[in-house]
Amino acid sequence: MWTFLRRRIISSAVPLVVVILGVFALARLTGNPASLYLPLNATQQMRDDFAARNGLDDPLWLQMANYIGGVFRLDFGTSLRTGEDAATMALRAFPATLQLAGVTMLLAIVLAVLVGSWAALKPNGIADRISSFISMAAASVPDFWLAIVGIFVFAITLGWLPTSGVASGASWILPIATLLLRPFGVLVQIVRGAMVSSLSEPYIKLARSKGASESRVVFRHALRNAAAPALTVAGDLAVGLINGAVVVESIFGWPGIGKLMIDSILQRDFAVLQAAVLVTAISIFTLNIVIDLLYALLDARVRPAGTMRKRRVNVSVPA
Amino acid sequence: MSSSPLSRTPRGSRIVAVAATGAALALILSGCGVANSSTGGGGAAGDTLRIVLPQEPPTLEPCEGSLTATGIVTRSNITEPLVERNPTSGELEPLLATEWEATGETEWTFTLREGVTFSDGSPFTADSAAFAIDRAVNSDLGCNVEGYVFGDDDLVVSAVDDTTLTVQTVRPDPILPLRLSFVEIVPESTSTSEKVREPIGTGPYAIASWDTGTKLTLDRNADYWGEAPSYAAAEYQWRSEGTVRAAMVTSGEADVAVGLGPDDGAGELGVDYANNETVALRLSGDIAPLDDIRVRQAVNYAIDREGILGSLFTEETKPAAQLIPTGVVGFNDDLETWEFDLDAAKALVDEARADGVPVDTEITLVARNAQFPKVTEMAQVLQEELAQAGLNVKLTMVDTTQHLQHQLRPFVTDQGPIALLIMHGNQAGDAQFTVDQYMRTDGAQSAFGTAEFDEILAAAGEQSDEERATAYEEVFAYQNEEIVQFATIAHMVGEIGLATTVDYTPDAATGDEIRLSDFVRVD
Repeated sequence: MWTFLRRRIISSAVPLVVVILGVFALARLTGNPASLYLPLNATQQMRDDFAARNGLDDPLWLQMANYIGGVFRLDFGTSLRTGEDAATMALRAFPATLQLAGVTMLLAIVLAVLVGSWAALKPNGIADRISSFISMAAASVPDFWLAIVGIFVFAITLGWLPTSGVASGASWILPIATLLLRPFGVLVQIVRGAMVSSLSEPYIKLARSKGASESRVVFRHALRNAAAPALTVAGDLAVGLINGAVVVESIFGWPGIGKLMIDSILQRDFAVLQAAVLVTAISIFTLNIVIDLLYALLDARVRPAGTMRKRRVNVSVPA
Repeated sequence: MSSSPLSRTPRGSRIVAVAATGAALALILSGCGVANSSTGGGGAAGDTLRIVLPQEPPTLEPCEGSLTATGIVTRSNITEPLVERNPTSGELEPLLATEWEATGETEWTFTLREGVTFSDGSPFTADSAAFAIDRAVNSDLGCNVEGYVFGDDDLVVSAVDDTTLTVQTVRPDPILPLRLSFVEIVPESTSTSEKVREPIGTGPYAIASWDTGTKLTLDRNADYWGEAPSYAAAEYQWRSEGTVRAAMVTSGEADVAVGLGPDDGAGELGVDYANNETVALRLSGDIAPLDDIRVRQAVNYAIDREGILGSLFTEETKPAAQLIPTGVVGFNDDLETWEFDLDAAKALVDEARADGVPVDTEITLVARNAQFPKVTEMAQVLQEELAQAGLNVKLTMVDTTQHLQHQLRPFVTDQGPIALLIMHGNQAGDAQFTVDQYMRTDGAQSAFGTAEFDEILAAAGEQSDEERATAYEEVFAYQNEEIVQFATIAHMVGEIGLATTVDYTPDAATGDEIRLSDFVRVD
């Protein structure tokens, strides 16, 4: 397993470096952001001073070298906008997004498993139709629209929930509900499909004929085999969640890294943008590695030969 | 039946482990609040003024006070200047200075208020004032206020005694006190090598806590020299969506919502006020066919200002004849807006065409996304109306950075003639801040000018009092008759959401400064 981990970490490092340098170069191609930070009637001299003060008039390769040198000293630059340390800003904002994305994903998986299994057990029944409808809605409805409608219905009209902000436990509900829809919609179909094919396997008939209860059949046998594809898709969706949180964070005033990134882009705040992208990229690579590990744990066929202890692999026969 | 085989197999125990982790996570997360925030507010519920802004202040550094996002919190709340402009009357009022007069061609002398302390207990003296002005204007900090109000010129500031300050300028400057109203006074303990995020000042409020990303709280300053304000504390939050800000006021989560648009749903809690913004088209009069004055006049005749405003904006939005609103020194009351006369527009275009002016060259109408509510609709109507006059106009919507490239020198030169939709706010209160930028041949935002006009502008800037106002009024009249660089369209209206427990009358400065002392609690 350690060999596996080591290999994965090294192979993740390359795309990480490419992402960081890519963002670095592309951001600076937009030119001198002085006009966004100086008053409109600032003279050319002031703009030049601004560029010099922030190292933006050096050639690109030199700026990149300075940046990489700084990274090794754990200095990721300062924000043009606030003057604070860029890494501090990114790390301060990240946990809030992690909480949002983590809880959303957990709920999405749990609900998708429950509803998807129910739908698979009774194809074309109520659960199946509801989940199909939700999945289609999830694919078509834009999240900012859903967020605003949610605020309008539940906060303004009914007054059950706060409009926005992070003040109370209740303020988690609308943001999570908005973010939940798309991952749930995708996962429920995956789970349903995988369950339907699992449930038609011969070993299920065998288990049933031996008198196993329906819940045992579903959760012990079929679901275990449906878990792997669902997990892989969940991993992909988690990536989209961290990014999709940008909209939800902006609308609900959630102090997360998505909002930080979009503000940095609009304000050409290079250092903060790079730090935020770095933090996000590392977490996504970590997540992918974790998913690979879980996938290998769940499905013996995927384990690289000789990297794990031998385990018993077959379906347990109920007593 | 035997005990559950679930925990006896490797996979079974794994499922148990996962379930247990999930439950534990749920418990942990339900127990704590959102990371990067703290729950609980300060101050008694009714005595705290809860304000929601469009964006978080990037910093509270007082010398960046001319940045709206910063100044809206600091100006006259945490820090104060020597004098302050009354936005309605246009007069300068004493604040940290009680008297001021021009004591030389390039010198002004200020008499300072006694008995004032900063919120950290240190006394306010002429030395503090000199320090603060020096720091904002003469230092290497690169303060926003330096560029906005003073340009490249430095000031020579000296404290004659504890309550007397002299300020010398490079050139005679009749409006120096007005310029100094943008310099917020800070104690001598403030860093001169770095900008500070949380300053000390003399104002009625001081910073209590700043939860970066979530909330900013100010508490009433017990040592304030003036009258104690009505609210004991102020809490600022920020939401980028106007509809959410309006919703916070209507649902009782906030008392004040800033920067609302007419469609944001504030309803009866929304109060409209004339802000100091003016919308206009700036024509690149150095590129054909816009270099022919007849074509520029045709542009003005072709725009149906009443029609556009009536259909897109609220009643209080008035057509504009000049780039500054009423209340600014130099506003010309007698100037009339261009009449909507499509026939006259067509006639002028035809006349130019007959004279060989290439009127069929494509003109690009450039407008900025989300610059103000209904900007896209207005730009579309303008494009259509100009086309009806016989001009070839294409509309392009761009984002802020691209718009700035058109707006500021050096302009975009490879896209042909440009009609740029701009919105200009003169929060300074004197026409010089507008005309120097927008009308001088070398003005930062001026597409072109004439030597003659430059002389008129320079002469006007040297006048004081009545002569100054008259001189600038003539400038705007001259612009409309002889230069026609602009097709001014409207004096804009802003909207603020106010809860019923708040008594506040917005004025032209409300978009740039929210003076907490002006808010009174009604029960």
